[in-house]
Amino acid sequence: MLSSANDISALLARVANKDAAAFEALYDFTSAKLYGIILRILRRRDMADEVLQEVYVKIWERAADFDAMRASPITWMATIARNRALDEIRKRTPLSIEDTPEALEVPSAEPHPLAALELSQDLHALQACLDRLEPQRKEIVLQAYLLGATREELSQRFGHPVATIKTWLHRSLAQLKACLTP
Amino acid sequence: MTDTDDIDALAAEYVLGTLDGAERTQVGARKRREPALAAAILAWEQRLSPLNSLGPAVAPPPALRGEILARVATPQAVASNVVQLQRRVARWRTLAIGASAIAASLAGFVGYRETLRPATSYVAVLQKDAASPAFLMTVDIDKRTFTVAPVAAAQPAGKSFELWLVHEKLPGPKSLGLVNNAAFTAGPQLAAFAPGFIREATYAVSVEPEGGSPTGAPTGPVVYAGKLVQSKP
Repeated sequence: MLSSANDISALLARVANKDAAAFEALYDFTSAKLYGIILRILRRRDMADEVLQEVYVKIWERAADFDAMRASPITWMATIARNRALDEIRKRTPLSIEDTPEALEVPSAEPHPLAALELSQDLHALQACLDRLEPQRKEIVLQAYLLGATREELSQRFGHPVATIKTWLHRSLAQLKACLTP
Repeated sequence: MTDTDDIDALAAEYVLGTLDGAERTQVGARKRREPALAAAILAWEQRLSPLNSLGPAVAPPPALRGEILARVATPQAVASNVVQLQRRVARWRTLAIGASAIAASLAGFVGYRETLRPATSYVAVLQKDAASPAFLMTVDIDKRTFTVAPVAAAQPAGKSFELWLVHEKLPGPKSLGLVNNAAFTAGPQLAAFAPGFIREATYAVSVEPEGGSPTGAPTGPVVYAGKLVQSKP
């Protein structure tokens, strides 16, 4: 059983050499995590299925580009998944954020083993900084990141003009960066 | 606001995901040619990625697994064989044996990913291990003919090399005749088999008494073997 980010890095290194068995193991270990990320943003299973396929094909093709000095393997893979899902949703007619995201109807899975792999220290630090934002602004940042909401959607949802949302986002992000920078 | 602040704010919103489609496309294009923007985006990805663990994992539909594995296994696997073969070929060239035939095969490999038309031309490296290629076998699936070019097979004195087709659907290996380490061998012995069958089979070379196996089945050790990969679209 895989137990550390090092193991995933090792799998990725084998995938870079086109090792199909390593790719299979990598898929089994990470696909629920990536599918969760994608489905939260796209909210439609048919689109999420297609995007998940593209994401893993990309991981297969680009595994050699992964640089352990620059990112954790999970961050690298999650970033590919999020970017692809965001690109896709931005091409579509905007969905109302009032639509219940399909991903959120799915009962929470057992804590995924990957959760332990996240540098929980990083998460604690980030949460501490988020907690220093006003509650509504914190919620706006979280909905933007996790659900892929646009400024317009956040404006509808929170009942503030788009310009206000934009200003808040910029301030919140600048605050987060300052808080996280040692 | 300085330019650096602008770039950082843009990178932050790009990573947060709040840009609209047009802005997102624009930033995606800019990051490829603006290292400062790309670096700012990478830093924001690192900063915010812990949030991904706040959302639940959702198991994808089981059927997707097979589809995804199949998508990477077919053309990509061939591409990876090409790279391996290219490396081997680089070594073989120094042997100056059959080099032009190999080069011709490789020209086909390079073009492979451009097309998905059914292939007719395949090649197998018959070898003991990756460092010891012995024969290069090419197969024309349409005509069901093959050619075996010697690369570096060391033939024991008083013995013959015999080529076999091995397939799980056959009761035993089927002889494709003798091959030798000094000349090309060509033959029509695949005529009895369907193209798919020819593609799936393993090809093996055994050491037999001079003149070939007396029994119709391999009697000596299998010294070289290989599978076909596509060589031309």
